[in-house]
Amino acid sequence: MDLLHNLYTGFSIALTFNNIIYCLVGVFFGQIVGVLPGIGAPTAIALLLPLTFTVNPTSALIMFAGIYYGVAYGGTITSVLINVPGESSTVMTCLDGYQMALKGRAGAALSVAAIGSWIAGTASVILLMTFAPALAKFALRFGPPEYFALAFMAFGLLTVFGGAQPIKIVISTMLGLLLATIGLDVVSGLPRFAFGIPQLLGGIDFIVIICGIFGVAEVFNSIEEPEEGELIKQKMHLRDLFLTWEEWVASRWAIVRGAVIGFFIGMIPAGGITTASFLAYLAEKRYSKHPERFGTGAIEGVAAPESANNAASISGFAPLLALGIPGSPTTAVMLAGFMMWGIRPGPLLFQTKPDLVWGLIASMYIGNFLLLLMNIFLIPPFVAILRLPYTIIMGFIVIFASVGAYSVNNNLFDVWMMLGFGVLGYVMKKLEYPIVPLVLALVLGRLAENSLRQALIISGGSLFIFFTRPISGIFIAAGILAYLTPVIRWAMKGLGRAKADAS
Amino acid sequence: MSFSWEESRKMWLAELIGGVAVLILGVAVVFFSSQLSYYSEFEPGPGFLPLWVGVVLIGCAIFVIINILKKHVKIGTFFKPRTKLGLHVLIIIFITFLLLPLLGFSIGLALFVGITMRIMGKHRWVSCGLTAVVTAIAIHFIFGHWLSIPLPTGIIGW
Repeated sequence: MDLLHNLYTGFSIALTFNNIIYCLVGVFFGQIVGVLPGIGAPTAIALLLPLTFTVNPTSALIMFAGIYYGVAYGGTITSVLINVPGESSTVMTCLDGYQMALKGRAGAALSVAAIGSWIAGTASVILLMTFAPALAKFALRFGPPEYFALAFMAFGLLTVFGGAQPIKIVISTMLGLLLATIGLDVVSGLPRFAFGIPQLLGGIDFIVIICGIFGVAEVFNSIEEPEEGELIKQKMHLRDLFLTWEEWVASRWAIVRGAVIGFFIGMIPAGGITTASFLAYLAEKRYSKHPERFGTGAIEGVAAPESANNAASISGFAPLLALGIPGSPTTAVMLAGFMMWGIRPGPLLFQTKPDLVWGLIASMYIGNFLLLLMNIFLIPPFVAILRLPYTIIMGFIVIFASVGAYSVNNNLFDVWMMLGFGVLGYVMKKLEYPIVPLVLALVLGRLAENSLRQALIISGGSLFIFFTRPISGIFIAAGILAYLTPVIRWAMKGLGRAKADAS
Repeated sequence: MSFSWEESRKMWLAELIGGVAVLILGVAVVFFSSQLSYYSEFEPGPGFLPLWVGVVLIGCAIFVIINILKKHVKIGTFFKPRTKLGLHVLIIIFITFLLLPLLGFSIGLALFVGITMRIMGKHRWVSCGLTAVVTAIAIHFIFGHWLSIPLPTGIIGW
């Protein structure tokens, strides 16, 4: 009954005229961002975040959530029609989606992606409604040792899901932690790495860093490597969007499996929507009786990753809302938003701000439905956006990043810093140092350090506190295992090679 | 995708420089954090976390450097055909930011849009000029008035 009551509260907030407009703007903008290569959800939200200082936090979050899951829908269009993923989470969709388009089934590919995303998204919201409050209740038992252990595990999981060389993931994580330590130390009041510069005493604002590292860096990367593809010039009629019975039979369970995989991967810190879509595709291929069809235009190859990325984009809100721990760069940027509005996400959020939590969750039903309609009836206008010259998009990014960085403290020093971080992000990408660990470590750094200090004060300086408390012990063990994964992989590879040599 | 020996050699050098930069950063972090107290009563001091961050950075950097020194090339391209264009944009952004106190945000950023459209997109001067004017008006009214962000106005007052 509680759930229904909460849902009622949520819809009474989400269905106000103002919030419907914010939701519509969010999903529409998300869809556009998804279509445009070279700009992703974290960049879009980072650029818009400083402009929402004065907006009601619930409305702003509804809009940002709309952007997040809207991006997952929008990226599909370019993946299917030009074989260029608008988003990293739709890379897997290119494999079969583009092949379907070449065979004249672009409409069916886009349709199954929209329907699958909608079903998975809605199912994910239902699961989120049940899981998130339970997780929040469970997290009420968390003290400083558990929070430190959770951050430790999240950093470790980055080496598993990070995708890059583990050593570079660790370096990137350390850079994030280092940036988080700049400014006055909250316990001793001593300045750290401020070098007498007054603007650095308060630390470097997260918005300044992400506007540079996501926004401006992306401009340089996109200039250097423009993602261009040839648009399939195929006249699409409404009837082309309907799936045949065989296509529906082939894709329905793929959608379900994709939704389940996406939901659980999205909940894992550092899991993210890209990993979810990748794993869903691999699982579907392994499960299929005809894996050889994958890569040649199998509709399941579109249905599974598309369902998974949307489910993950929604379940990613569970750790953010219930624990205050972001699982992906986009939720990390949203956490910065919470801080900006003076709201602390975590277990108490469900009690202190039920209107915000349930309004946000209820808006996801509305947003997913709006996106389903948009993706069935409004494909041509979104395809037309691809014709927008990149120079104009680039100009917009630089304008939003500069104004965003300036608006944090109303000084030009932050604008210069933002440019510096833009160059850093660009160089890091060129040298294959991943950005995501830096961002997550930057957000979690202060929480991790403060929790570590508080935990050691509680234990009188003994590190055993992290191992003797069951929840923190499990997190620490999982973290250690995650850090050791590269070593285990390397050892197993060596063992496999030795076996092959022997035989 | 094929990479020439020369390109791979440049990538190798860039990787090595990257590793050395991380090493220098790690050493600097250890040096500066050693000036902060490492431990106070029952709890780590302000120097605790940075010191360990520095130590891990040094360790990782040594690993990266040794790894790259074992090879003679690294597959990849550091300088791509359009890298120069990216550098031009960086210089234009740099000059724009230098001129922001003088021109103000609206006009400074609008000029940036117009100039990059001309240099990168090879659009006609008229299109670039018109876009710049519309951008200046949009920045002034959207950010300055609608969102009430007190942007620097420059000598013209915009």
